Amino acid sequence: MLEMLLHPQNLDLVYFCTLGVFFSAFVSLLPALHIYNVLGIFMMFILSYENTMTGMQLVSMSTGMVVGYSILNTVPATYFGPGDESLSYYILPSAHWVAMGRGYESVILTGMGALGGLILLAACAPLFLHILPGLKAITSPHMFWILGAVIAYMLLSEWPKGVSQSRSTWVNFREGWSFLLVGLATFFLSGLLGFIVLSKTMVPIEFAFQSITPVFVGLFAIPWLITNIINAGVIPHQHECESIDLTWELYFRGLFGGYLGGFFAAFIPIVTAGVGGLMAGHATAQRDGRLFVMSYGTCKTVYYVGSFLLFFIPGLSLTRGGLAWIVTPVMTFLTIKEYVLFIGVMLFAAGLSFMMLMPFTRACIRLVRVIDYHWISVVAMGIIIPMTYWFTGWGGIAIMTVATGLGLLPVLFQARRMNLMGVLLLPVAINMAGYGQEVTRFLRLV
Amino acid sequence: MKGFTHFISGIAVASFFPQAVHMASQEQSFILCLGGIFDILPDTLDFKFARFFHVSEFEVRPDPRKLDAFEIASTVAASMEKAKKDGRSTVQLHTMQLGSNLWQSYVLGFDAKTSEVVVDIGPLVDTGQVPYDGTEPKEKASARVKVSCTFFQEFDKKSNIAIMSGPCFEFIKRDEKRVEIVFLPWHRTWSHSATLGIFTAIVVGAATYFVIPDGPHQALYSLHRWMVYPLIIFFGSMVHIVEDSTGFMGNNLFWPFTADRTRGLGFMSAAEAIPNFFFVWTSVICILFNLDRNRWAPEAFPSGIGSYESFFFWLYVLPCAIMLYFFLKGKHEKAAKKAGSGDVESSNDFDSATSEKETDASII
Repeated sequence: MLEMLLHPQNLDLVYFCTLGVFFSAFVSLLPALHIYNVLGIFMMFILSYENTMTGMQLVSMSTGMVVGYSILNTVPATYFGPGDESLSYYILPSAHWVAMGRGYESVILTGMGALGGLILLAACAPLFLHILPGLKAITSPHMFWILGAVIAYMLLSEWPKGVSQSRSTWVNFREGWSFLLVGLATFFLSGLLGFIVLSKTMVPIEFAFQSITPVFVGLFAIPWLITNIINAGVIPHQHECESIDLTWELYFRGLFGGYLGGFFAAFIPIVTAGVGGLMAGHATAQRDGRLFVMSYGTCKTVYYVGSFLLFFIPGLSLTRGGLAWIVTPVMTFLTIKEYVLFIGVMLFAAGLSFMMLMPFTRACIRLVRVIDYHWISVVAMGIIIPMTYWFTGWGGIAIMTVATGLGLLPVLFQARRMNLMGVLLLPVAINMAGYGQEVTRFLRLV
Repeated sequence: MKGFTHFISGIAVASFFPQAVHMASQEQSFILCLGGIFDILPDTLDFKFARFFHVSEFEVRPDPRKLDAFEIASTVAASMEKAKKDGRSTVQLHTMQLGSNLWQSYVLGFDAKTSEVVVDIGPLVDTGQVPYDGTEPKEKASARVKVSCTFFQEFDKKSNIAIMSGPCFEFIKRDEKRVEIVFLPWHRTWSHSATLGIFTAIVVGAATYFVIPDGPHQALYSLHRWMVYPLIIFFGSMVHIVEDSTGFMGNNLFWPFTADRTRGLGFMSAAEAIPNFFFVWTSVICILFNLDRNRWAPEAFPSGIGSYESFFFWLYVLPCAIMLYFFLKGKHEKAAKKAGSGDVESSNDFDSATSEKETDASII
């Protein structure tokens, strides 16, 4: 693999991959901005100039970007706020570490998990050639109910907090169920928004590929930035540890759990790393805080990169995740050579990104030390709203505003943010089951 | 067991019905999810309903401004004395929330050797149960209150009461001198009974008999379609009970004909990683095998699994052997640690601080 990668005719791939990693570091610095949105715009630009890059060069750059983003975005997400659901699942425990001055340790743990996940992904790559075609054949006719099961478990596994200590059982019951009802309302209202956006988008046609962007900006990014801005707390001094308190046993347990969750999310359409991580965490009975943080790093990286890897498996034709859809127009013919090259480029990007992680984290820590993070959030908001307007117009701003209202629900009522994924899970599961048209007609969307 | 373990086991059970798999693949039916939903239902009933309507005779509501360990221990002891006199008594211990992310912790233990209720007031903790060192109260922080009976419990371990809702205990007089301590008396009773499973299946079966007609290709199946729904529901709920019985806390299998929970088989703790994953992995393998075996038109669509022997060896036997190795290794290490420290109390981790930290309530 190394020989193939370092062959003079392929060295350009290393160059483009390096560019992608550096570009992802820049994108990661912009809080709440998702790499897929940037890549979408980037692709639009590239495709307008024929012969600018070859297909494999674009793949290398995209791989560098997605690997770099999946490893480096933990840093700004930890200190400034998450850009999507896969990140917000990690953010609450991570915020706890930051509050203890251990944000640096949390980021490094996540990075170790991410690196381990990518190495394991590469190690499993030959197995995928044999296992995944069979797995696809078995599960393809059943995807809709698998999504249904994921939804059912997400909703059923949210337990009441039960903090009320009233002598009246009904008061306690009402208090316990208020959290659950907010969760259910969030899920179904998000689902309704998803139906509307997917059936009748208000985004200009030339930016149709960005039609979901205002939804995600509203559901995840803006509520977090608002929370940051109104938060009265300050980020305490962050300790830059020299070693990590982690045993190999714990490392492999976290890696295993995270890998399962990430692979599940990568393989099943619409399921994100947050949902996959929740299920894998429950399946492997994770309890240790370090395990969770590290395993999260594995989960989200395997999800982002794994879904892209599935695209390169010859003969499988699995297009999962935004990136695979983005490169589909330029990669029409895939052989084992492209698959091996992809694995090589992925490992190179993983090593480079991991080496950049520590200086990048230190830079972010210095940034929050110098500039109040409230102002960073204000600036981020000042970037993200005009960008949404620029690409999606007033229609996008309207969608973003509604989504922000929904995104604030779990923040205000301390319910799971994951329920916001109803925006995609519900319409896609119903469409896959074949009831989509009935629902859109019932909602008078057609 | 974890909620997810139950959920996926229920789906695995449903996948054993070829008709259900065909309904899913050919008619876009969500019937396989029914197994998962009814497998997690017993815990849903307990933690989303039953716990709120359980009324305890005694309640411990410690005042964080006037912390007194003796007062807490006395209330628990009074409940035990009442049980000795009247046969049964329950006590609910409440937590002390001081801020949105600040709680006062305390520990309750039952010392069977000296027949004493033991309470130690601990430090302030955050919602992640991370203690703030040096915040333990200086006065009235520990107390031991003797009771006039001997007692025993399924889980001989201290309860760390800190965040969210506190635990509930029932004391049941078993003979003239002995009182049994039952943890969470509202859990795993009627909801975890075969009686409820049978009743639900009968009700659903009665409805489906009138509502669900036979589908296409009925001659392929030995069961009428209306029968598949109650059977999936029944077996789904039964699998939950079987899985829970492998832990320390059993179920009340024949409620209302039996009054109390039985003891579990004690093979494993409900929160342990490897046993949970064993059940999850077994379920995944069963689901994949059944979806492939019961695929529609097998002569037209080749199997996704090349060789069943290889499939079971590489994906089930080998992972199970690895799990068994690590499970036994963990047990030996735990036993060696216990023998080394001579600490009897830490022998069971069910009711420990780690159990309190669980985010998934269903494992309790």
